[in-house]
Amino acid sequence: MKLAAHYNRANIIITVTVLIVGAIIYFFSIKYIARTQLDRNLTEEIEEVEDYVKANHQLPKQVDFDEDQTLFVKTDKKQIQRIFFDTTYINPKEKRIEPGRAVSGLIRLRGLNYKVIITVSRESTEYLIQFIAIITLGLVIGLLLILFLTNRYVLNGLWKPFYDLLHQIKAFNISEDKSFRMNNNKVNEFAELSVAIDTMSSRVRYDYQNLKHFTDNASHEMLTPLAVITSKLDTLIQNESLPPDIYEQIDDIYAAAGKLSRLNQTLLLLTKIENNLIEDNEFLDIGALISAKHKQFQELILAKNIQCTENLNGGRLLVSKYLMDILLNNLLSNAIRHNINLGKILITLTDRQLIFNNTSSSDPLNANTIFERFQKGNKSEGTGLGLTIVQNICRLYDWNILYNYKDDFHTFQITF
Amino acid sequence: MKLLIIEDEQGLRENINAYFNEDGNICESCSDLNSAINKLAIYNYDCVLLDIGLPDGEGFAVLDYLKAGMKNETVIIISARSSLDDKIKGLNIGADDYLTKPFHLAELKARVDAVFRRKTANSNNNLVFHEIVINLPGRTLEVNSTPLILTRKEFDMLLYFIANKGKVISKNALAEHLWGDEIDMHNNFDFIYTHIKNLRKKLLDAGANDYLKSVYGIGYKFNAE
Repeated sequence: MKLAAHYNRANIIITVTVLIVGAIIYFFSIKYIARTQLDRNLTEEIEEVEDYVKANHQLPKQVDFDEDQTLFVKTDKKQIQRIFFDTTYINPKEKRIEPGRAVSGLIRLRGLNYKVIITVSRESTEYLIQFIAIITLGLVIGLLLILFLTNRYVLNGLWKPFYDLLHQIKAFNISEDKSFRMNNNKVNEFAELSVAIDTMSSRVRYDYQNLKHFTDNASHEMLTPLAVITSKLDTLIQNESLPPDIYEQIDDIYAAAGKLSRLNQTLLLLTKIENNLIEDNEFLDIGALISAKHKQFQELILAKNIQCTENLNGGRLLVSKYLMDILLNNLLSNAIRHNINLGKILITLTDRQLIFNNTSSSDPLNANTIFERFQKGNKSEGTGLGLTIVQNICRLYDWNILYNYKDDFHTFQITF
Repeated sequence: MKLLIIEDEQGLRENINAYFNEDGNICESCSDLNSAINKLAIYNYDCVLLDIGLPDGEGFAVLDYLKAGMKNETVIIISARSSLDDKIKGLNIGADDYLTKPFHLAELKARVDAVFRRKTANSNNNLVFHEIVINLPGRTLEVNSTPLILTRKEFDMLLYFIANKGKVISKNALAEHLWGDEIDMHNNFDFIYTHIKNLRKKLLDAGANDYLKSVYGIGYKFNAE
């Protein structure tokens, strides 16, 4: 749920509650005030009646009290408390029953006790209350509507820089030298956030660049000692009086040095691909490249008596020749290296896809981890980076690579 | 051939020196940019092996110096930097080849021979080794004036052997030369044997001497005698 929605919900619940409670209190207060006012009027009326009776020694006539209806009833009671009560009021002009307010009291006239009831119409006060209630309700609805719209538009507008920033953070690429920019810096908190993120990202980027340079330099520095090892070995084997078992040891050192050098170069290459540093894209005939690669590995294929079939109907792609060569090299050399004697390789190229099918002595590979660094089959003598490189090249060009295993065939399928 | 090795790593410099010195070549070496330029100012060389990362500057300066002086030494860059940019830059400002460290000395020797031959090419660019005459541009070969047909790999192999005649060449170096260094074929060099055997048989059948000798466990040697 969005922050705005959370905020909206809390806001609306609180507002509605406060408004309802307020409206109830308001309603009763007004009602109370109106009633007190009526009661005061009625008290005045009854006092007027009492004064009249005292002065004139007779009961007042109905007409003397315009809208009020006064009723005198003889009573035996000596004492009647003056009480106010709600009753009905019959409007004599309109012949209509209206809510009314009445007061009853005792009047003594010539030794007789009369109970006097004065009733007035409550309609105007009721009307006033209703009117005030409607205005209040209107206000509540209006307020809610305004709140809702405010939240929806103003608040969304307020949060816009935040979402812009979020977008930029999502698109953050550590190797890209791009600073965070916020267009609307009117809100202090966002401006601060933007600055903080920018500072953090520059620091991260700086550290990353440092680390990358370090890795790069370290890898390069390692190559020179490796060159020394190789050249020393090359010199050492010139001495033909060495016993064969020493030669075997030397051979192993050669292999280890070779592997180390390949590993090193592969890691350097991976860094380069990941940082998009190879930009010699040109339109290449992929089919021709595959045929050339096939030819290059001809001897290796023949050595294992592998039947390699090409089915090339592909077009041209805008790629780096260097990377394409590495991609094909890795896929084909894998297909050869992990193949069995008298195995099969099938290379299919269409305008949309490149598929390598090959038989192998190994069981199905784990499609989830196969492209990860240093993941290799138990029998693999490789660096464990070949498929990672393939995947990275595919990622660079937005191609999709899939591995699956079916009917003894390992399949690598690249969709352009 | 007269060579100048510009390389700051002592071990490597000595080994290159020793490897090249035997074959009737004269090798000189230095370890920094300054002395390299001093040497180049005084002497003429046939070939310069140039490291890019030198203690007192980038080796590219040597190329600039040679270019400015209109000198026509063959230059092969030997560098730990494998980036395409460096390669292109080196080749653009006058280097003849670019070899990335680590490399086999045999590979370096083959490259030096190849660029040197290319540079000193004459009308009949033939490489003569005793009874074997190799026409380099046409990639054909005659043994005792009889044409002999070799496969592409066999031809490359023969050139490689002749460049490194009298040296023991490891199977690693040979495999890397022929199939590139991306492919890791550890303990699986048996297939090379087939090619060596075929080449040897073809040469013998054509009447050439038996130059190819297997050095047990490590590789092969092309006897010069």
